[in-house]
Amino acid sequence: MSTTTETTKTKSIWWVVNAIVLLYAFIPVVWIISLSLKPDATLNDGSFLPTKVTSEHYEAIFANDSFTRALINSIGICLIATFIALIVGTMAAYAVARLDFPGKSLVVGVSLMIAMFPQIALVTPLFKILTGIGLFDTWLGLIIPYITFALPLAIYTLSAFFREIPWELEKAAKMDGATPYQAFRKVIAPLAMPGVFTTAILVFITCWNDFLFALSLTSSERSRTVPAALSYFTGATTFEKPTQTVAAAAVVITIPIVIFVLFFQRRIVAGLTSGAVKG
Amino acid sequence: MSVTAPVDERTEDESAAIARQRHSEGKKAERRLGLMLVAPAAILMVAVTAYPIGYALWLSFFRADLRTPDDNEFVGLDNYITVLSSDIWWKAFGFTLLLTVVSVVFELILGMALAIVMHRTIVGRGLVRTSALVPYAIVTVVAAFSWRFAWSQGIGWLAGDSAPLTGQWSSFWIIVLAEVWKTIPFMALLLMAGLALVPEDLLKAASIDGASAWQRFWKVTVPLIKPSILVAVLFRTLDAFRVFDNIYVLTSGANETSSVSIVAYNNLMRGLNLGIGSTMSVLIFLAIAIIAFIFIKLFGAAAPGSDEGRR
Amino acid sequence: MAAAATLLLSLAACGGGDEGGTPVINLFGGASATGFQDLIDGCNEQADGAYRIEGNLVPSDADGQREQLVRRLAAGDEGMDLLGMDVVWTAEFAEAGWILPLTEEQAAAASEDTLAVPLETATWKDKLYGIPKHTNAQILWYRKSLVEKAGNGKPPATWDEMFDMAEKLKADGDPYQIGFTGARYEGLVVGFNTILSSFGGTIVNDDSTKSTIDDKTTEALGLLSRLAESGLASRSLSNSQEPEVFAQLQNGESAFSLNWPYVGSAMREAAPDIADDLGFATFPSAVEGQPSKVTVGGMNFAISKFSEHPEEAFDAAMCLRSPENQLKHAITAGEPPVNETVFDEPEFKKVYPQGPVLLESLEAASSRPISPVYQNISTIISSTLSPPTSIDPEATTKELEGAINDAIEGKGILP
Repeated sequence: MSTTTETTKTKSIWWVVNAIVLLYAFIPVVWIISLSLKPDATLNDGSFLPTKVTSEHYEAIFANDSFTRALINSIGICLIATFIALIVGTMAAYAVARLDFPGKSLVVGVSLMIAMFPQIALVTPLFKILTGIGLFDTWLGLIIPYITFALPLAIYTLSAFFREIPWELEKAAKMDGATPYQAFRKVIAPLAMPGVFTTAILVFITCWNDFLFALSLTSSERSRTVPAALSYFTGATTFEKPTQTVAAAAVVITIPIVIFVLFFQRRIVAGLTSGAVKG
Repeated sequence: MSVTAPVDERTEDESAAIARQRHSEGKKAERRLGLMLVAPAAILMVAVTAYPIGYALWLSFFRADLRTPDDNEFVGLDNYITVLSSDIWWKAFGFTLLLTVVSVVFELILGMALAIVMHRTIVGRGLVRTSALVPYAIVTVVAAFSWRFAWSQGIGWLAGDSAPLTGQWSSFWIIVLAEVWKTIPFMALLLMAGLALVPEDLLKAASIDGASAWQRFWKVTVPLIKPSILVAVLFRTLDAFRVFDNIYVLTSGANETSSVSIVAYNNLMRGLNLGIGSTMSVLIFLAIAIIAFIFIKLFGAAAPGSDEGRR
Repeated sequence: MAAAATLLLSLAACGGGDEGGTPVINLFGGASATGFQDLIDGCNEQADGAYRIEGNLVPSDADGQREQLVRRLAAGDEGMDLLGMDVVWTAEFAEAGWILPLTEEQAAAASEDTLAVPLETATWKDKLYGIPKHTNAQILWYRKSLVEKAGNGKPPATWDEMFDMAEKLKADGDPYQIGFTGARYEGLVVGFNTILSSFGGTIVNDDSTKSTIDDKTTEALGLLSRLAESGLASRSLSNSQEPEVFAQLQNGESAFSLNWPYVGSAMREAAPDIADDLGFATFPSAVEGQPSKVTVGGMNFAISKFSEHPEEAFDAAMCLRSPENQLKHAITAGEPPVNETVFDEPEFKKVYPQGPVLLESLEAASSRPISPVYQNISTIISSTLSPPTSIDPEATTKELEGAINDAIEGKGILP
């Protein structure tokens, strides 16, 4: 009996805590949604929730297929970039965390350097390279830089996780005759899943939100991603900002991310349970 | 003790020669595997960034204007002297540094709190974990614009009749708010994945030994997730120091709220002054490198690639 | 993995290009404006295979547009033919050799019936580079009822009158504010340039070799500072761009609003009751008895030096800005024509009641400094004058003079 009331009490405390988290996350988002629903007449009324609601701005972004095209480009480019960055990054991170090889600190140092250099200074030369090799305004022309600039974060995050993994298990596998590769694949990879999926989420979101490369390295619907498309929205006249349309688009493009996160956060939980093996 | 710890061969017995040879063969294989595994990442990173970074470095020693590509002139350290002796640069630098420190501190504390909630909550876990990431998922410029709108006098729900975006300090705190709101999830996610690897029995044992929740957190959890903390703080700091979007949208640098990235952007993209712009980029890079170096020294063994830290 | 890679390569391989012999004129800039696609479609039909205009999108903000154009022009990109340029870019692009000067014949065609100041913005070193597409100028929007109360119903002709009226309204507890784009951005430069020109001052000399900052500048700064310090401007002055200035008028805070002509139609949508009470007049003058010299905005077409079809590009531009199309676009997107004759069209008069006031303003207008380093000068002005309350006329004049001369000589750094 007393345990039941105890759990009920703990549960309600957790609900309160959760509610605070939800408020933190959603109040500004509700404001963006509210802006996206306000008709022109009430845009400037300063009210948090719309007093009148219109769906015209959502209709406007889907009125022609250029936004949809941008969505498809974004999804395709970011999924591929995330996928490749994770594979390449996991390999490198494993080596950095676990293996002894010459030039390791160089790899670690150089990748951090890349993460540190201001990207605005790199865009123009990158543009030149891509036009030179004919990749300007192509999927690949965005995927390559996205992988590159995601790698430092991926390598650092993943190697940090890999080092927290109880490697006695790997040793045990090796003693059982497994090669280092088998030990990596069969034993360590499942344990590393929380880290891998965390990294996947971070890399995907970084790619999804990128403005700089999206604007500078694309020029048509073939490869234009959503953030670039957003900045092309125009108001009714030059001096009016397309506030509500942009807000509506921002709401729409957050949905794929939420789905992506929903999918992967389950894996983080799965990783947790398998992590319990080590206990 | 680690499989790859260097072996002091002098103290070894003669009879262990075979074992040693086998060991060094294993060592060789390990080296080969290591190189093979990092090769794709290393090659890609170098192939894509070597020229752009090298070119920016090169340009920083030239008087160079995008509009007159044939008139580049070597000026040695002149650009550096120009930038480093400029008031504009140092004001922006100070502002950026303060902004970085304040936002990262808030992000770490609140991010840790959020990570713990996401990790520990017993109800609605999926809901909390997914929702908490939404701020990070919103496109920065749009979020920034909605903050600008919210804090605009008369038209925003937060501003009411005040005009906070017209003062330096009120603008500062709004920029911090926009930054922190947006990036807490980044911190929390990294920290949570670290928390997931803290053995539950270790915490239980500490609890039985009479450690309070606070002590367990500081004595057990924090040391174990130090690598995650380092990565989270390091990468957030790199980004925070380069803050651009939020300031560009919220104040465009008015009322002395320019960051170094805003100044670099103005010189590089508006002024098309490749020399000065590249110099500023290199200086931003150096500033971040110094910060990163301090962090890595502070965290010592927890830094990636350092051998002592391995368990 | 391999499958993904092939997919990528095939995606990379499929590029755009000319189709079936019809030269494609790639237009960058302006194409995303409301109703612009109709103009393109109409011209393509008219061209009947002589060319086909392809409207490419660029970011909606001027800085973003220039950034893209400049990057691609500096790389000698052949994929751009016709550029829709902000009026302040001409000298920079011309000096860099990125755009073609028009031939005498072309220049004559582009200048026909075209307003003088827009042409001036399209000219660099006596050569016409741009084909003016549309223009614009700020006017004074005011609340008729309030002007009635504060005076004899006539809108203020000078800043002094406007200050007096606002003062009176404030004392009576009525809406009194003077709306002005005072944020640190291009709009502040536009406002400052208008005031400075009205005092008879300029910022740089004709060939942009040195700054012409003088006591006129001090007078202009004095007026701006007076506006900021008077308590008659919005408290948000230093963060107000067009949308904020508009909102201040919409929300009943402003009695006067210095803004572009779009306010009329936009207010009709946003707040009909305010729109009913809205009057318009020419921008108040800084010096009594002299017309105000309002800064022009707008867009010119120019032909990229790297275009493979420069002649067709010119024809395309002339079609897109034909008087009929100027009229069409004035109606759909509110872009004021550069062609004087369009102002007389009955259809234009009907949808554009502020037309005569605008034309009067445009005939006495001024342009922002025509200089290859205009962006540098503009960045310096907007940051030096921001926030307007920090202006100390004497000291700020000196500061501006030094910084602008530095910018012309390529010295120093931009804030």
